[in-house]
Amino acid sequence: MTVLILTSEEDVTADMVVNELHATGTPVLRLDPADLPGKAVLSADYAHGDFDGHLSVNGHVLSMGGLRSIWVRRPGEPAAHAPEPSPWLTAETRQALYGMLHSAAARWMNHPRNADQARLKPWQLRLGHLSGFAVPPTVFTTAPRLARAFVEQHKEVVVKSASGPPPGEPPLALPTTLIGPDADFSAVAAGPALLQRYVPKQADIRLTCVGTRLFAARKTAEPDQIDGRYGDTGHPWEPVPVPDRIGKSVHEYVTLAGLAYAAFDFAEDEDGIWWFLECNQGGQFGFVELETGQPIAAAVADWLALQRRPDRRGPEGRH
Amino acid sequence: MRPFTLNYAFPRGAAQAVTPYHFDPARQLNMLPDGRPAVSDPDLLLAAGTTTSTAGSATHFDD
Repeated sequence: MTVLILTSEEDVTADMVVNELHATGTPVLRLDPADLPGKAVLSADYAHGDFDGHLSVNGHVLSMGGLRSIWVRRPGEPAAHAPEPSPWLTAETRQALYGMLHSAAARWMNHPRNADQARLKPWQLRLGHLSGFAVPPTVFTTAPRLARAFVEQHKEVVVKSASGPPPGEPPLALPTTLIGPDADFSAVAAGPALLQRYVPKQADIRLTCVGTRLFAARKTAEPDQIDGRYGDTGHPWEPVPVPDRIGKSVHEYVTLAGLAYAAFDFAEDEDGIWWFLECNQGGQFGFVELETGQPIAAAVADWLALQRRPDRRGPEGRH
Repeated sequence: MRPFTLNYAFPRGAAQAVTPYHFDPARQLNMLPDGRPAVSDPDLLLAAGTTTSTAGSATHFDD
């Protein structure tokens, strides 16, 4: 039974998991949907009430009947590397590939349907509430008056993007940024603004959840540092224990979201409270493992290699 | 009108450096020029910055 990893060739975080699978003798096929059609070949048969399919790339072959699990890690857009790429070719290739994979009885990390919903930042905040996390007051709005009122109420407020920086050249950075009460809020009418009460933090927390296993890491913040992803504080990521209350909320969250993998970001305030900021269903773990030594790649490999049939009655990928 | 959030964007700087490894299709791993898997050199991976939470942001926002 083979593990399928959907990711780009240059993804060295995926390498960490492939290496673990190799070490345990677990068959693995690594495929970038961008290489289909072309370098990768697909064929699926739906006939006589039965189904079978095959994928091959770089001399490796996978039968859908032998598919154990699927890790959706960093897949490219289907057909992106085709000689004549087009939105139509991408749509056709997506239909062929993901239609075939959904037809197989495999476990997903994470199931695309659950992943799509889990990416929605407003829903993350709602789920954070329902799971018992402390969540900073937040507003999404296209109303300048409401944005101004939110800032007047909470004084120190940050603005952040829900979907990341805009694509294109030159590449842009869009870190979480503290805004002042004197900001011109008229431009809020031109696009939804995500405003959140600033949490004065003494550390950033990255908690990685793999199935039921939790790995928390802490990085001391500088007093004036807003976004932990930007700027070098000189402080390393260090492993820390997961408080019982946080662990319970994490399990509640991933159960409600149907996620087998999730990376949570928290801000630890001066009283030691972990404030929920977001949950990245495909969040990076490579930098955490390399700095802390926490065996996250091995945990991912263990989950993918587990011999268990999906529960056909509920959403696939749940655990 | 420029959306409010984009008022806080800025150029990310120089293009990314060339990574010191290449993909080996047979092993399905990235390899260093000396034949070792890239994952065998954690210091090099940290220095390359390709496993960080902003490394994939150009194509994947949920890092």
